[in-house]
Amino acid sequence: MKKRSSSLLGMAFFGPALVLLTIFLFVPMVLTLIFSFTDYFALNPDLTHFVGLENYGKIFRDDLFVKSFFNTVCFVLIILPCQGIGALALALLINRVTHCKKYFKVAFFIPVVMSLAVVSTLWMQIYSPEGILNTMLGNLGIPAQPFIHSAKQALPSIAVMSVWQGVGYQMIIFLGGLQAINPGLYEAAEMDHASEWQKFKDITLPELKPLCVFVFITVTIGAFRMIVQPMVMTGGGPSHSTYTMVYNIYETGTVNWEIGLASTMAIVFAIFVMVLTVIQSILTRDKEEGKHVNKKAKGN
Amino acid sequence: MKKGFAAVAFMLLAAGCLAGCQKKQVKPGDVEGFDPGEQYLSLWVHSIEDTEEGQAYRQSVDRFNEVYNGTYFADIEFVPRNDSGGGYSDKVNASVMAGGLPDVLTVDGPNVAAYAANGIIQPLAELTNEERGVYLESILEQGTYQGQLYALGVMESSVGMYYNKDILEEAGIEVPEAGHPWTWREFTDILERLKPLMEAKGGYPLDMTFPVGEASIYYYAPFVWSGGGDLVSEDGLSVDGYFNSSQMAEAMEFFRGVVEKGYMSEAPIEHLFESGRAAFKIDGAWEVNTVYQNYPDIRLGVAPYVVGESWDGGRYTPTGSWAYAASSDSENLKGATELVKWMSGVESGVRIWELSKTFPSTYEAFEQIDVFQTDENYRFLYEQLKEYGHPRPKTPVYPQVSTSFQQALESVALSGQDTQQVLDKSVERINAKLERYTRK
Repeated sequence: MKKRSSSLLGMAFFGPALVLLTIFLFVPMVLTLIFSFTDYFALNPDLTHFVGLENYGKIFRDDLFVKSFFNTVCFVLIILPCQGIGALALALLINRVTHCKKYFKVAFFIPVVMSLAVVSTLWMQIYSPEGILNTMLGNLGIPAQPFIHSAKQALPSIAVMSVWQGVGYQMIIFLGGLQAINPGLYEAAEMDHASEWQKFKDITLPELKPLCVFVFITVTIGAFRMIVQPMVMTGGGPSHSTYTMVYNIYETGTVNWEIGLASTMAIVFAIFVMVLTVIQSILTRDKEEGKHVNKKAKGN
Repeated sequence: MKKGFAAVAFMLLAAGCLAGCQKKQVKPGDVEGFDPGEQYLSLWVHSIEDTEEGQAYRQSVDRFNEVYNGTYFADIEFVPRNDSGGGYSDKVNASVMAGGLPDVLTVDGPNVAAYAANGIIQPLAELTNEERGVYLESILEQGTYQGQLYALGVMESSVGMYYNKDILEEAGIEVPEAGHPWTWREFTDILERLKPLMEAKGGYPLDMTFPVGEASIYYYAPFVWSGGGDLVSEDGLSVDGYFNSSQMAEAMEFFRGVVEKGYMSEAPIEHLFESGRAAFKIDGAWEVNTVYQNYPDIRLGVAPYVVGESWDGGRYTPTGSWAYAASSDSENLKGATELVKWMSGVESGVRIWELSKTFPSTYEAFEQIDVFQTDENYRFLYEQLKEYGHPRPKTPVYPQVSTSFQQALESVALSGQDTQQVLDKSVERINAKLERYTRK
């Protein structure tokens, strides 16, 4: 009897979430999967046919999809190390400063709170031919750079901006991790005359490892989902140099009404990110820790 | 598969019910002003009620309900739309699937063909010649697909080739009359003459960009039309031999020349023209108001839009805007047509100008608005629209044509890629989208 009422209570808590998740997450996911095998066209759903794997073949033969794929990978490859290492470096620095700690924390965190569209518009001014960055370069005797208006520089320019925008969030996470490290460890190391580098390498990094994995994966997924910055700043140009996968999915589905094709891209994208995340978590899994947990579990 | 779709449709329907986007049966008394004996007409517009544009629509609908009291009652719903076209079009797309389109909805001019070809909108009830004659040629042309009139807009638009009178006077350059525009070659010579002068002012002869989005095809397709080319075939179902024609290539290469010779900045510089550092600027009609309001020091003029060498005097200048159309779901075509006519008519046109400074679409509205009589620049833009206005390509794959045009322009003019190769590639891409219509 007791068991039954507690399971009812459980359902009462779980139910609303389940209903909402079903409507807004599971159903759309299943629909996307179904649509990916059809030529569903938003303006004329009646004419939808089942086309099997045709869409999948189509998108891999499409230069633009391939290009958007590589652009996205490029973004991730720039953003991941910059943002990960940058966040750690900032956290270490802030952890050291004795004055104005709050000020620095807030200053680095503000871009995270700002809307991406606002940040993008702001950086368009910074990158503009007569903007602050080019003026500063001019004072150093460097000729004006086109930044987001050139096919070569647009992608790195947007990536740099994204790092600036996102780094504060990971910094706060690392900062929390740093403050949770037992000071006794450092004291012991100091007694053994460990150098700063040794302390960092042998205490700080291993202690932060679980956080590193978390940051690594969230930054990767976040970078893969890049759309707002190129949409606002370059429209995917010049010459598609900043056209990302999500942007491609959006344009195919919303602007060109090709829901079927867009669903296929979304599925491929989701699978790719999932596979990557799994690989990442396997590569970064702490073997020692795994054993440790197993032993503990057995003991229980 | 049929069963699968029924299941999917059911799920969507269920979701639709939950979200409340089912077509509602409205009875007299449900909505204020809807009296027994009146026919109910629903209307969607792509705007927010609080904006000036929204207010103009609201007032027009209120007037419609006054004038047609006892016969029709129009109920307006405002559906916000973001810059990239989402929001409003999402709602339309969802209703196409789940049902619940209103009697009358707004459609962006270039999308009329796609909506018509997919049976989302239906041809309007027959208009008399007198009724048709009220509208500018360009607005009728925009709303017509495969010989039938589907849509009528209250707004028209135009693009001007603006010039700074002081600069041209300083350089001793005379601007031609409306019927005798500069050709590309003449215009290039003028830009060459202006270049040293403008460099001295720290600027460029021409303030021009190839913006992402709709603006590029809107501003620059006239260069193809006036050069004797076209972007798509007459029926809108073929692009091979059009989008990759020699006329198209010539227009693209004209722009490449402009960039290469340094007549314009490769990267957009803000307020170049408005700060007196560019002699010419190509921009929408709103620029006149902007300059008048914010840059009173600039002496603004409008020159006729530049034409290709082989221009035969035909229509070629930019036009087009959102228009009203009757949805295929409407069972009251007569009423819907009345509403479309009213919302796009003279009175509504004068109102849209007064509230949001958007050009109206009827001759009489232009005649009634003082500024089109008294101000030379507005007058010029109106005349250009009346005599030379040309709608954008009419094809069900318009979005693809529009993005391809912008991308081709960018690749050829800015990145210096091989013109023919770029255009052939575009044709391939557009063809892939056309398949849906050509295989039927």
